[in-house]
Amino acid sequence: MPASAIIAEHSEIIRKGMVQLLESSGLFAIVRETPCSASLYDQVRRHQPDILFVNPAMIDGAFRDKLKKTQELQTRLAAIVYSLHDESTLKVFDEVILVNDSRAKILRKLNALMKEKAQEPANTDLSLTAREVDVLKLLVKGMSNKEISSGLFISTHTVMTHRKNITQKLNIKSVAGLTVYAMLNSLISLEELD
Amino acid sequence: MKESIITGSMKMAALVAADPRSMVLITRFGIDLGFGDKTIKQICQEKNIQTDFFLLMVNIFLSSTFFPNQKLKNVDVKLLLTYLANSHEYYIREKIPLIQAMFGNYLGRMDHPAKPQLQTFFDEYIQEVIEHIEYEEQVAFPYVSNLLASSEGVAVNDGRESYGIRIFEERHTNIEDKLSDLKNLLIKYLPPSSDRFLRIRIINELFDLEQDLGNHARLEDQVLIPLVEQMEKQLNP
Repeated sequence: MPASAIIAEHSEIIRKGMVQLLESSGLFAIVRETPCSASLYDQVRRHQPDILFVNPAMIDGAFRDKLKKTQELQTRLAAIVYSLHDESTLKVFDEVILVNDSRAKILRKLNALMKEKAQEPANTDLSLTAREVDVLKLLVKGMSNKEISSGLFISTHTVMTHRKNITQKLNIKSVAGLTVYAMLNSLISLEELD
Repeated sequence: MKESIITGSMKMAALVAADPRSMVLITRFGIDLGFGDKTIKQICQEKNIQTDFFLLMVNIFLSSTFFPNQKLKNVDVKLLLTYLANSHEYYIREKIPLIQAMFGNYLGRMDHPAKPQLQTFFDEYIQEVIEHIEYEEQVAFPYVSNLLASSEGVAVNDGRESYGIRIFEERHTNIEDKLSDLKNLLIKYLPPSSDRFLRIRIINELFDLEQDLGNHARLEDQVLIPLVEQMEKQLNP
């Protein structure tokens, strides 16, 4: 199955060139191509492509962090480079495609990149979501599932799901253990516990 | 080596070399180190230990996949109770005080707002282990002893008939969860400190305790409880 890709690039010649090159390789299906960066973030969120080809001038370093935080997204970032960029700018990218790279070289780079991605375990992000943190805070204050459910306006079933995920992510099962975790990570203060 | 089955013709020293955990195990049978080149069978005969029973315990402890089958009916419940009681003694007098001292030492030098919670968590865990052991010593084991006496024809009536051995089983998981939590807190979540080697030693001790308690529980669940159930059925068909 071809990997899904979004291409964001101001220059039409370069953008169309990339589209043609990628599609003809049979390795990529282009789900979106865009000349502007305005709605790029939303488009990536909506389509969740395997890879985003983007001109580094169109995104900033926070872009990638924002992506990582808002979804358990596995989108790879590849830079399309034809002008001079700061080294720190390029650091956020998983791969860099130079405009004068040969077709073979580009495909070799992308093949390696996609293989690397496939080997990664599906869910590497073990940090808690904001909602899970909410549940954890109430839990370590000694609240029952029912109390948490009415406190957060969610069903008890949802509370249980959050609890299950918290335990799985942190590998801590007991409430007493979770309390220590919450304290160690300053999620809750001593005053709140009493 | 760990997965192979230990036999009576093996030298006791070879057993220890194969798996050092067996050192603690053999002390529960009253066997001390310094046995030269004697085989397991020789030592068992000298010490009046049923060799089969000794081998059963060793194999259960050293192989997590070993499951006793036909040998079960040959197990002497009295010996088993003695063995379990000796294990309890070891936890209470040796293992727990050692871990408590190390942990106390570690926390004493730690400076973090979460310190009291960590101490409480640890204390509660230790307390639960001790309570669990006391429960077995004071309620479960006497019940089994009484049952044993009844099955040998000694009439015992102390009003405990309604109490069945099933009550044994449900109590192990809670303790296991907390121990696993304690380990993970020390491994993953406690901030780095200068006492790194003390921390490693504590974690090693916790792994050791976890394994030992796990085997202990397996012994109760897979050997003692099935045996007692048989006795219960024979007495109240």
